[in-house]
Amino acid sequence: MDMKRARARTGHLPNRLGVKGWAWAGRYTLERYLYTLHRVTGLGLLLYLSMHLIVNGLRLGGEEPWTDAMGVLGSGGFKAGEYLVVAAFTIHALNGGRLILQHLAFTFGKPKPPVYPYVDVMRRRRSLTWIVLGLIAVGLVFALIEFVV
Amino acid sequence: MEQVTFKVQRYDPDKDIKPYIQEFVVPSKRGMTVLQGLIYIKENIDNTLSFRSSCRMGICGSCGVLVNSFPMLACHTPLEELHTDRVEVRSLPNFPIVRDVVADLTPLFEKHRSVKPYVIRPDADHARRPEATLLQSKEELEGYVQFAYCVKCGLCMAACPTVATDAHFLGPQPLGQAYRYCSDRRDQGDNDRFKVADTRHGVWLCHLAGACSEACPKGVDPAFAIQLLKRTMVAKSLGLRKPRKPALVVEIPPATKPKIEVPEFTAGGR
Amino acid sequence: MRETRLKILQYVTGAGLFIIVGYHLWFSQMGGDEATSWESVTERAQSAGWLVFYILLLVFVIYHGLHGLRTIVLELSLPDSAARTLDWVLLAVGLAILGYAAYIPISAF
Repeated sequence: MDMKRARARTGHLPNRLGVKGWAWAGRYTLERYLYTLHRVTGLGLLLYLSMHLIVNGLRLGGEEPWTDAMGVLGSGGFKAGEYLVVAAFTIHALNGGRLILQHLAFTFGKPKPPVYPYVDVMRRRRSLTWIVLGLIAVGLVFALIEFVV
Repeated sequence: MEQVTFKVQRYDPDKDIKPYIQEFVVPSKRGMTVLQGLIYIKENIDNTLSFRSSCRMGICGSCGVLVNSFPMLACHTPLEELHTDRVEVRSLPNFPIVRDVVADLTPLFEKHRSVKPYVIRPDADHARRPEATLLQSKEELEGYVQFAYCVKCGLCMAACPTVATDAHFLGPQPLGQAYRYCSDRRDQGDNDRFKVADTRHGVWLCHLAGACSEACPKGVDPAFAIQLLKRTMVAKSLGLRKPRKPALVVEIPPATKPKIEVPEFTAGGR
Repeated sequence: MRETRLKILQYVTGAGLFIIVGYHLWFSQMGGDEATSWESVTERAQSAGWLVFYILLLVFVIYHGLHGLRTIVLELSLPDSAARTLDWVLLAVGLAILGYAAYIPISAF
């Protein structure tokens, strides 16, 4: 809803953060940054998928266009792009695994009466997040070695 | 810190097209809160400044504002904890601005109402005896009491990245309260609430960024409640949800003699 | 519980893709240039196992990707009428992509 219409409806100035609210994690902590990273890698992988399917379609044209395309895609710039795809998949897949477990509250235990100073369950039980971050780091380094060597 | 510079958002709907920032220098003392700073400005520098507050002790949830880019209760935020002598106070994002730092919380209240935040008992027995007690155990109480501390301040809605773009998304406060009542054994209205939560703009637009729980000043942890709601809905959808016996309706136990004498003029003394 | 069922499918396809895409990437990266050579590609195209693998990969990845995209677009305050249109458009796009992408390994089999 644009600003004029919203103001006409409520009489008050709308103040929604908009898409900036997705991207900007500001002073929030780890999981809020992982939220942004998950979204960015997901959209990136979707973009890659569309290009990947187009390239795969070259198979229908026979050996020559396929071999030519593979030659181009094997060059330096595309190799770096391919590493980004593997990195995006590693982040999205491992963080996605964490999200499935946590969306179903499997790692959170039972609710309990809050005692000051309050610590929410995601910070109280952060070990899964740290394990996932560790695995992502290992995956990224391993993939980098594979691409460079 | 002998003095603190308050950078306060100003906006007069009759004069201004958009909000702007005005600076005020406020003498500070140990233990002073952001709310006390705003009160100082109103009483001593500019009496046109508008903000909302009531209890001054983190109970009413009226004074939610954005302090240095983080949603907080102004009365619950000592200046020392900000570790800076520059304090920027803006109205809560994702809510329309009424004036200066006053946000219009109507969207929150409307969405809260939509999840039916009260005990629903369709049985005739309870309808016949509304004064009777619904039994629950200590463990059952502990299963939801954390989520019952919500003061409807709107900080979680200001922190939520989905509310930032989606005007139709229910948001962390209403969804958290939906679970609070669904998990209460005295209640039997969970199917009504699942219908509200299972829409395109319902519970599945929560992606567990955790910002709502981080911002919550009362330890309610709405993100936790929402994940528990998701689990309940998935279990129900897959036919795995165990049937729950509704809480028993019992007569109120006869009045016991109070340990301390109740004064004559009070209701209990009559 | 329509949205819940759609989300359960999102979880199932996500978990499946963790394994399927993981293997797909591992195979193509570890195999080096050999894995993408014309001989290797045509050899795999004759295998029923690989055909099932690719079709499964396509179904999972298209559902997971388009459902994720739907979620993001819905968050742009999409009203219900537009959201219903979006659902049909994404369904049509998904089926079209699946048809095109599945035709490649099926035609080579």
